[in-house]
This record gives sequence, C-alpha cells and structure tokens, in this order.
Amino acid sequence: MFDQSKIGQSFPPFTYQVERSKIHELNLAIGDENPLYHSKEAAQAAGYPDVPASPTTPTTFQFWGNADFVKHLVAIGVNVMRIIHGEEEYEYLAPIYAGDVLTGVTTLVDGKSRQSKDGSSMDILTLETRYTNQSGQEVLKARQVLIVR
Amino acid sequence: MTTEAKLPTKRYFEDVQVGDEIPRLVKAPVTHLQLVRYAGASGDFNPLHTDPKIGEMLGIGGIIAHGMLIMGFLGQLLSDYVGPTALRKFGVRFKSMTRLDDVITCSGTITEKYEADGEARIAGKVQAVDQNGDVKASGTFVAALPKRGE
Repeated sequence: MFDQSKIGQSFPPFTYQVERSKIHELNLAIGDENPLYHSKEAAQAAGYPDVPASPTTPTTFQFWGNADFVKHLVAIGVNVMRIIHGEEEYEYLAPIYAGDVLTGVTTLVDGKSRQSKDGSSMDILTLETRYTNQSGQEVLKARQVLIVR
Repeated sequence: MTTEAKLPTKRYFEDVQVGDEIPRLVKAPVTHLQLVRYAGASGDFNPLHTDPKIGEMLGIGGIIAHGMLIMGFLGQLLSDYVGPTALRKFGVRFKSMTRLDDVITCSGTITEKYEADGEARIAGKVQAVDQNGDVKASGTFVAALPKRGE
C-alpha cells in the first residue's frame, strides 16, 4: 500500500540551465530536423532570441536538472525498477529558450493503490513540477503519472 | 549541424478549421541506437530501455522504447504544425509499449477553435500508432495561433 502521508510532500528545489546542445541532442534522437532546434542562427533569423525548447525538452530538465529525482522516489517508498510511465502533461506558460536558468520544484500531488485484475496491487503516483525562470516568471507546469507495479 | 531541413510554414488561426487533420508524420523504425541516444539526450538511463538483459529479466521480452520518445514524435507533429512556442498545453497517456523496429505514425485532428486570455487558440487530439494500428500514446493539446493582420 502506498503511504498516503507522503501526499503533498515537495522534493528540494533544483536548478537547470537550458542548454542549446541538449535541445539539439534531444531532437537528433527524436529525429526532428527542424532547424530552429539545431541552430542559433536559424532561430534568430526566425525571430527567436535563441534556440527554443521543443515540446518535450522539459524531460531533460527533470532528468538532468534533478539528479536526485530517483533518490527522492526511493525515499517515498517507490520501487523504481517497477515504474511505468502512465501520463505526461505540460502546461506551457511562457516560452523557454537556451540560456534560461530554471528552478523546478516537484510535489507529490496524489498517490493511491489499486488492485489489478490478477489480484496484485499497484501504486499510481501523480507528480507536478513547477518551473520558474531567471526573472522569477513561471514558465512551465509538468504533470506526470507514474504506475508502480 | 547543417540545416538543409526546411522551416515549417507559418500557420494562422484563420487557416485552421475544426475537423482539420494535422499532416501525418511517419517516423523511421525505432532502433536500439536511437534508444541509446535518447537515453543520453534525455537523461533517462532506466536500463529497460537500453539493456536487453533487463528486459528479459523483467519478463517484457527485450527492450522497450522510452514513452517520452513517442511523446517526442507527437511533439514534432505539433511543432511542425503550430511552431515551437505556440503550444499552451500538451498531454499524452501512454497506452502500450513500443519495441525495436516499430514504425510509428503520428496523426491529429483539430477539435476546437476559441479565444481565451486574449489569444486565438485551437485545441485538438493526437495519437501515435504502430505498423499494426496499435495505439502507443494518445493525447490532447492547446495552441495559440496568430490572426491575419494582427
């Protein structure tokens, strides 16, 4: 059974500098050749101050920015080898560009246990991470549902 | 990197109608090398995406792709359609596992047009399916588009 007393708990804040090379690398792996994600010159020619974050670039904020993310999950009792990614949702509040310095705070907003058809139990956790930039502007809300079998 | 790839054309609110289909995006087959690259790029080093032995051990039969890679494909579909800073909301639910050699096709439909927070917005649904039609991920989005003459 998931320990419901953990709901509402926030992990310590983390900071992450959005890197041009990381946006480039992520989109190479995805196979997205849009020049805006690979060249500062192309981005500026199109009127952007620098390379913009692509829609799923925030995944790099979480994994590279919060090196202790897995540790925090273990600390609230999650068996990380048994995690399945159920849902991911982003709310984009302001554009994010290479060079921005973001601060993220992740909160466990929901957690419950559910019985599967075969009688085994699984936990369903909802985490929300709110990001602000170097000007103190809120730029992104990321909501994630993790299923732990 | 060379930038021979063309910039997507700019789309205006007036160009989009409810019921419109977003031009399909057919991705190259998923490869092991791609998952290794995606692990390094994203920072998600869960070995079940890169190490076949772990996949066997967990009884899922080999490695499976990161769900976020599939969401990345859908993100490409959307950013080609509305541009990189137009999305206001984008969420997906992961429906089934993607394996090596799967060919993912992304598609989407416009479901709504409206004005909110001083912006002209469109909403729609998207999905990613494999070569057998199995749904890997499905979701929804909201984007803001410029109006002509503004």
